[in-house]
Amino acid sequence: MGTPDAVGASSRQDLAVRLLDRDQLSPDAQLLTFEGEAPLRVLPGQFTMVRVGGGGLLRRPYSFCDLLEDGAFTLLVKEVGVGTRALMNLPVGGVVSSLGPLGTTFDPPAAERTPVIVAGGVGIAPFVLLCRRLAEAGRRGIVLLGGRRRPDLYLWDTFERFGMDVRAASEDGSAGHHGLVTELLEAALADAGRPQLYSCGPTGMLLRVAEMAAAAGVPHQVSIERRMGCGMGCCLGCVVWARPASGGPEEYLRSCTEGPVFDAGKIAWDQDPHPL
Amino acid sequence: MTSGKAPAVDLGVEIAGLRLPTPLIAASGTFGYGDEYRAVADYDCIGAISVKGLYLEPRKGCPPPRIWETPSGMLNAIGLQEVGIRRFLSEKLPAVRALGKIVIANICGSSLAEYGELAKILDQAEGVAAIEVNISCPNVAEGGIEFGCDPEMAARATEVVRRGTRLPVIPKLSPSASDMAAVARRVADAGADAVSLINTIPAMAVDVETRRPRLANVVGGLSGPAVRPIAVRMVWEVARGCRLPVIGMGGIANAEDALEFVLVGAVAVQIGTMNFVDPGVWRRTVDGLVAYCRRHHVSALRELTGRMAASAESPAGSGA
Repeated sequence: MGTPDAVGASSRQDLAVRLLDRDQLSPDAQLLTFEGEAPLRVLPGQFTMVRVGGGGLLRRPYSFCDLLEDGAFTLLVKEVGVGTRALMNLPVGGVVSSLGPLGTTFDPPAAERTPVIVAGGVGIAPFVLLCRRLAEAGRRGIVLLGGRRRPDLYLWDTFERFGMDVRAASEDGSAGHHGLVTELLEAALADAGRPQLYSCGPTGMLLRVAEMAAAAGVPHQVSIERRMGCGMGCCLGCVVWARPASGGPEEYLRSCTEGPVFDAGKIAWDQDPHPL
Repeated sequence: MTSGKAPAVDLGVEIAGLRLPTPLIAASGTFGYGDEYRAVADYDCIGAISVKGLYLEPRKGCPPPRIWETPSGMLNAIGLQEVGIRRFLSEKLPAVRALGKIVIANICGSSLAEYGELAKILDQAEGVAAIEVNISCPNVAEGGIEFGCDPEMAARATEVVRRGTRLPVIPKLSPSASDMAAVARRVADAGADAVSLINTIPAMAVDVETRRPRLANVVGGLSGPAVRPIAVRMVWEVARGCRLPVIGMGGIANAEDALEFVLVGAVAVQIGTMNFVDPGVWRRTVDGLVAYCRRHHVSALRELTGRMAASAESPAGSGA
């Protein structure tokens, strides 16, 4: 994956950004559009640390979901606690602090490979910008969307607008395949021919995708969600047990700095004493 | 209002032989190896940087989850994940030296011998201005807090560092000691040049739904604004009860917070957890200190150390 130095640590900024628009995607999820003082240089997979009044002491990490032509950006937010709740209650016109872009990026798929994206719930967030870039380059791919119910399959139409082959699964059978999104993966890999896998979502899903990718010898990049304190590589709160991209034995790597995007083969899924 | 330019305010302080351009020091464990915040923090406002705690060898640290937010605070059990003294000197120190900041090396030992060895190595290193001796980490099995709670052990750790180096030696005191001023007096006798306090307060939180502790290490250290009033009281006690200059810390988020520590006796202060929240804390605190000094007709901030009045003001109109 792209490293922070390759994408320029100096593009990081602590910006006051204004909420322009709120799209209530489901009872507990929103797509929020923000406008900054200055346009951002964001690459797919990167995230921002957001500080919002009433949202607790520490900032909260959010993947950049999309970067719009006019320089605005979107975040996909699902209510999990005091931080997300404060953001979801922010009035339009309200201002928050965005520290970013941070972290590593998804590598674009090699020319001969077809991207296959597997996402569960709000894990879909970082793939909107990836698919926008793929569409701009005339690339097509397969997007596997998973969730408990129909309303959890966020931004389905957005991915179709980017020309992606969207296949969904819901655990209650209310949309698409009745079951887990990983049950769609074998067919998708076969259809793709020479796939490049990308994934983000709940732990069980990531583990299953990583197993299948390893068994099939498919390159696989994963975006890891971890509780973060600073996003800047200093608090060491967000670590994952993995081998460094540069080589060497496993150690605790920071998901904010050496991640959030990792080559899945570098993560020691079964050796972390507290698996994801 | 007088005409012309606002009078200059001198924020410089001298402590343990270090001349700091501002009294604000980045606290160990919150500012990495010093250069991580270069894109977003105003380094001109930083008086010195105390780097992540160092042992002789690299350490992998505690398993996750390592952090948990509490009301106005943060629990952490990182367990001193660090690169070891050699990689610090060869890889990390050149990057922070290039920023032109005063570097304080924070050291931790699992034995007295390790403290002494680290001191000797740092004594030979170019670009380290002082040694902060961590005798107060709550999250490591050996060393750390067990040295800081016992005045005798704190003195022995200080003494062995003192013997190993000519650099200023600054023990970082634990709030878990029953009498911090007594610890401070003992480390003073053992050759310390200053003390810094407080390290985090041992604390914990539980997820009642899963009935599991929030941290893998179960117990962590509490920091942030939640601990500030406790830290202010402890700095006051140590500053009154010991002849050494004091570096105060605990949840400082702005100039008013920093001034509380100064008024109760701190010569300099450290900013820690608030780096995570707002890298703009440096600029805002410096601007606030300058504004305060102007408003109170103080030409040099150092004049304010220990200048808290002896008694509280009576509430207006409360009568006799």
